[in-house]
Amino acid sequence: MADLMRKSGIWIAAILVILALPLLVKSGFHITMLNQMGVLIIFALAYNMLLGQGGMLSFGHAVYFGLAGYSVAHYLNGVGEATLPYLPVSLIPLMGGAVGLFFGVLIGFVSTRRAGTTFAMISLGFAEMATALTLIIVTFFNGEEGIQTDRWVGPEPLGITFGSDVQVYYLIGTWCLLATGAMYALTRTPFGRMCNAVRDNPERVQFLGYNTHRVRWLAFSLSSFFAGIAGALHALNIEHVGFETVGIAQSGLVLFMVWIGGASTFAGPVLGAILITYLNSNLSDLTEAWYLYLGLLFMVIVMFAQGGLAGLIVMHEPIWKVDLKLFRAMVVPYIMGIGSTLIACVGVIGLIELAYFMSTRATAETQKVLYGFDVDAASVVPWAVCLLIAALGIEACRRTYPPMSASYNTAIAAVKARMAM
Amino acid sequence: MSAFSPFPLKAKMEVFFFSVFNGLLYGMLLFMLASGLTLIFSLMGVLNFAHASFFMLGAYFAYQISKYVGFWPALIFAPLIVGLIGALIERYGLRPVHKFGHVAELLFTFGLAFVMEEVIQMIWGKVPVPYNIPEALSFAAFTWRGLDYSAYRLFMLLISVGIFVALFLFIAKTRIGLMIQAALSHPQMVQSLGHDVPTIFMWTFGFGCALAGIAGVIGGNVLGTEPSMAITLGPIVFVVIVIGGLGSLWGALLAALFIGIVDNLAISFDLKLYPIFALFGVEREAEGIMSDLVNLTTGGIAPVLPYLMLVLMLIFRPRGLFGTRDV
Amino acid sequence: MKHLSRLVIACTVVMLAVVTMTAAKAAETIKIGLIEPLSGRIAAVGQDALHSFEYAAEQINKAGGVLGGRQIEIVGLDNAMNAEKTTEQLKKSVDLGLSFVLQGVGSNHALNIIKFVNKHNKRNPGKEIVFLNHSAVTTAFTNELCSFWHFRFDANVDQKVAALVTQMKRDPSIKKVYLLNQNYAYGKSFQAAANKLLEERAPNIEIVGDELIVPFGKVQDFTPYVAKIKASGADTILTGNWGPDMHRFVKGAMGSGMDTKFYTIYGGITSSIAGYGDDAKKVDLKQVTEMHENHAGMPDDVHGFMDGFLKKYTDSWYSDRYRWALHMLAAAMEKAGSADPIPVAKALEGMTFEGPIGTVEMRADDHQIQLPLIVSTLTGDAAKKVIYKGKNFQVAFKTDGVVERADTSLPTTCKMKRP
Repeated sequence: MADLMRKSGIWIAAILVILALPLLVKSGFHITMLNQMGVLIIFALAYNMLLGQGGMLSFGHAVYFGLAGYSVAHYLNGVGEATLPYLPVSLIPLMGGAVGLFFGVLIGFVSTRRAGTTFAMISLGFAEMATALTLIIVTFFNGEEGIQTDRWVGPEPLGITFGSDVQVYYLIGTWCLLATGAMYALTRTPFGRMCNAVRDNPERVQFLGYNTHRVRWLAFSLSSFFAGIAGALHALNIEHVGFETVGIAQSGLVLFMVWIGGASTFAGPVLGAILITYLNSNLSDLTEAWYLYLGLLFMVIVMFAQGGLAGLIVMHEPIWKVDLKLFRAMVVPYIMGIGSTLIACVGVIGLIELAYFMSTRATAETQKVLYGFDVDAASVVPWAVCLLIAALGIEACRRTYPPMSASYNTAIAAVKARMAM
Repeated sequence: MSAFSPFPLKAKMEVFFFSVFNGLLYGMLLFMLASGLTLIFSLMGVLNFAHASFFMLGAYFAYQISKYVGFWPALIFAPLIVGLIGALIERYGLRPVHKFGHVAELLFTFGLAFVMEEVIQMIWGKVPVPYNIPEALSFAAFTWRGLDYSAYRLFMLLISVGIFVALFLFIAKTRIGLMIQAALSHPQMVQSLGHDVPTIFMWTFGFGCALAGIAGVIGGNVLGTEPSMAITLGPIVFVVIVIGGLGSLWGALLAALFIGIVDNLAISFDLKLYPIFALFGVEREAEGIMSDLVNLTTGGIAPVLPYLMLVLMLIFRPRGLFGTRDV
Repeated sequence: MKHLSRLVIACTVVMLAVVTMTAAKAAETIKIGLIEPLSGRIAAVGQDALHSFEYAAEQINKAGGVLGGRQIEIVGLDNAMNAEKTTEQLKKSVDLGLSFVLQGVGSNHALNIIKFVNKHNKRNPGKEIVFLNHSAVTTAFTNELCSFWHFRFDANVDQKVAALVTQMKRDPSIKKVYLLNQNYAYGKSFQAAANKLLEERAPNIEIVGDELIVPFGKVQDFTPYVAKIKASGADTILTGNWGPDMHRFVKGAMGSGMDTKFYTIYGGITSSIAGYGDDAKKVDLKQVTEMHENHAGMPDDVHGFMDGFLKKYTDSWYSDRYRWALHMLAAAMEKAGSADPIPVAKALEGMTFEGPIGTVEMRADDHQIQLPLIVSTLTGDAAKKVIYKGKNFQVAFKTDGVVERADTSLPTTCKMKRP
């Protein structure tokens, strides 16, 4: 019993958090943000079935997300005009999943014959075609305007209309839990392991007698199914589906989320989805350079942290599992390293903000508020200061990173030594 | 939805030649981009997503340089600077990522394209910059049947043909060129034979980017120099190299010209696609989704055609038309 | 994995707890939201709108504000040209307690806002939001899609085309016109309006071509279209194109030596002029606007406003309707005696304002502004040149003719439901 409690601990905690959040968060803007997080968590996890578990990099996964969204929007409009039979709104995500599955099976069959770069390029081709079709097939996609819909349709069992955002929140929360649970379970099945095998060594898998194409195709189809669920919830949340939902930008965003969060762990995409959605909603109001920062963060992760942010956390798991005291020796080098990074960031961000300000300012005014100080962006002073800080920070990083990784290695070596005993 | 059928046969001729001329031009521009991309991909196995971004960078640098010293120095220096930047990016950015595999390299170039676009917007703003055709060349070289053939466009054609010839001679006749030929079809072998692969990679990447840069210099003032240049042209370049076949420069040339000319002709001779649907028995007055498809014309789907060709080619013949090896 | 997930959840809770935003109390200042792209590729257009409205608000505040000294504040809300963000910003507007929201860049976002506002106002009586549309010109918004909560301060597509066609009729040298438009809702509505109005008002002008192109910058090279236009013998082009579809078209035309006249709606906006480069001085391009700087006979206060704006932002003042929108809103508040949305909306119906070339009126039937329009030509030979971000483009506009309200007003199919 205690064992079961421990194992299902995270799930229970997650349920409690999801139930409690709307009581803490009151503003409509933030509820909508939470809803978006829920939708994108499902989408990111679905995407990671392809990327992290299957080794397939797709630039066109938003096609299934978007097509499901459009279908659901049309369905809701049909119900609203009483031309289509009623299905409880809570079950609509399944409809989205079915649409995603349908297209995933079709397109997946041809796409998954090969992996790697060919797969990526086919996905790019389909993404571009889908985007172009949204402007050509006006009856379904309605071109630039997209499809508007109203989720407050049909009978209202128990007074649940899904009119309010909070009710949609609980709907999304429930589906998020269900989908996450399902996808997690899949990773535990032999099929999940086969996906990993195909990712790591497809030749060997073929020698063992398995059909790599079938495995990839199945993974692709299931992934599209969950992407479709996410798309349906998206349509319910925003009540509008536009042509950008099928495009490369949407696929690129979820790619960023998954990679920054960490494609090598199950929870990495969850972390990425939450973090990026939060930043996207709030940071873009603070600075114009938001996209640049996102891109730079992505590049840093690609170059230095293959496992993403989750990977960085999980890297330390063996240490805290074995002996928390080992951390003591790591504290100082880590603080030095993180501190240097922060200093470098302050300098670089300062330079970027100044540059953006100078190139996009409207008035002849050159005064700007940077980190709370009034500076004149036309004079050399703030530039020089930021450059200096950045240079110092980078130099500090160069000095403090080796001790930081050395302390980590020592700790890991100690862990290994203990495990060997 | 062209309500008017095309014009008399005489007019068709000059429209045809004009379109073919411009199609050739557009195709040569695509070839310049595709050649660099092919070299990089064939040699290094890296699909440089950011290739069109170097094209954009070339155009912006050309604009900036020509503002101070004129177009001709820009033609020489902008590609060199772009090439240098490319080489540095390979050395300090791409090379460390190489060990993480192809997916990581692809992600690197994808992120790079994204970041480059943002940085260009940060420096030059989001509005198109007035990068103009040089005064010396902005006249009509000749007028044939009422249509002006601009001197600058002829110049573009000359330069791109010149580059193709130079490239061809370089690869066919020089030692390094021989090495590249070998690497184009058998990269692992070249490596095992002991050539300094990392340095070759760096200069190849730089050279490929420089080619993209030249395309930017001569194309930027015709197509317009703005931050969305890369994302519009980028995917089409991928189509070119896939259709032409990886590892084949001739393939890239033919595919580029083909796409350029077909694109122009599809628009100029805006043929209705209804007859194809009629073969399948579709009514002229079809309802719903069919009504959109039935009314399509070649001009309406011209921008989609390359992607359709890409997908079909990758499905049925991933090697491409003249490819020497698979992806 | 368990630990990681706990960490993830803990981080989430902390982040969200930290973030609890208190809704701003709309005490003395009257806040008006402006939902536009303030970042991303179209940011320049959105930023221009923001600065224009901020400046107009400033002038009103300097003159004493509204309702006994209350100041107007424009709150910029960035939608990065993204439909989801538009919805997000609308939710934020609700949180901030804003009763008025301005928008105009992108008809698809405007439609989004109209639908949202209709649903929201129905679901939340007492917290209504009024949508002040400054530039989204889709004719349907004040016809089939009309809503009590939506007011449009810009002439719609049909009205603008009516003005262009009326002016074209006055030029006897125009005999053959070629229509070229973008293949999406806006372009198609321009095409439909052009066909209808040419037949009604200028039946002597022959339409020798009518074409739709793939929109949003997908067409790199316009020379094939130029070839077709030349072959058709057209002397005039009537087009609703904007953005790269406009400036590439002009560049293609100039590069091939085509000297037709261009009658456009958006051919004269600053980003297009920037895109023409040197060709700006060569092309014979006309636009239809509610005002331009070099129009003779405009009252002094308008000139004063424009000069002040130029001085502060180093940009020429282009869209005078932004100024009218705020003035009319302020006047409506004074008339209603409050800043509450429903009384103000009722006061805004039928409101008139002295525009720079004549009286303009917010028609009560459909909430569509009725106004005289000017058709003007781009020329190197005008007193005040177009200046944008401090750069002088050496060109400006010269009036060809004014089209009075009698000719720009069109009937409506709107059947509005009022609260």
